Amino acid sequence: MTKGDKYLIIFIVVISLLSLVYVKKATTRYDEKYILIQVDGKDYKKIFFGPEVIGKKIPIETEFGYNLIEVGDGKVRVIEADCPDKLDVKQGYISNPGEVIVCLPNRLVIEIKGDSIDEDLDYISH
Amino acid sequence: MKNLKKLIFLSLLVSLGLALSIIESFIPIPFIIPGAKLGLSNMVVLITLVVFGLKEALIVGILKSLVFTLATGSISSLFYSLSGSTLSCITMFLVFNYFSNVFSLIGVSIFGAVAHNTAQILVASLMMNNYKIFSYLPVLLLTSLFTGYFTGLASIFISKNLKKTFPKIYKTN
Repeated sequence: MTKGDKYLIIFIVVISLLSLVYVKKATTRYDEKYILIQVDGKDYKKIFFGPEVIGKKIPIETEFGYNLIEVGDGKVRVIEADCPDKLDVKQGYISNPGEVIVCLPNRLVIEIKGDSIDEDLDYISH
Repeated sequence: MKNLKKLIFLSLLVSLGLALSIIESFIPIPFIIPGAKLGLSNMVVLITLVVFGLKEALIVGILKSLVFTLATGSISSLFYSLSGSTLSCITMFLVFNYFSNVFSLIGVSIFGAVAHNTAQILVASLMMNNYKIFSYLPVLLLTSLFTGYFTGLASIFISKNLKKTFPKIYKTN
């Protein structure tokens, strides 16, 4: 064991600890946020955030009613609805994972979901 | 026929590495990290590198990966182990040849383990088209420190012993 070995070990420990911290940060930043639109309890559409969907308006026309949602930079809102009280329009933007917009008359649920990497291991093999 | 001895020695090394790989696959690692291995067969490659040289070490490493695939039957792991053993072999050769005054065999072995893991992660991310697999790399690097240290330590003893008991093999180099 030479001096170089010791420096190498220390170097690798520091590097991997630093990158562990970085990975931890990156995974909890919810980079993989997406919008999940459900109508009547069933998945209607999934939209991933990205530069190409900013400002996009998505109409949702189902047998229960009509809503128009607008996707922003990491946020989403309902801009038009044919429900009587328009609570979903008044709610404005939602942006954090776990937040929901509900339009009960149209049975519409818009939720922001966030995936973190460690959550979905497919399988472990040895 | 003057290479016969070398040929036999190399094939012995390949079978030794193969046996070590298979034994190693029986040992569960007490961590939750997928893909972490003891890297016992890395020892064989390192010894080949020290005794013979880059070409022979590459032959042993690649042959070992191929035969291991035949023995266990998992084709997908072939790419991982092939890329890993090739890159770690080249890295260990470079370190051993040019920086052997700075690093002992322990350092060389750690370099090899790090290169092995990096190559495997690289291939995995290419194959699965998902760069997020790199988030496993720091954990793997930490484990490769330990495994690399111990395989390096073992290699020091082995190469010392080989030098004493089989001085002729060194001369064929």
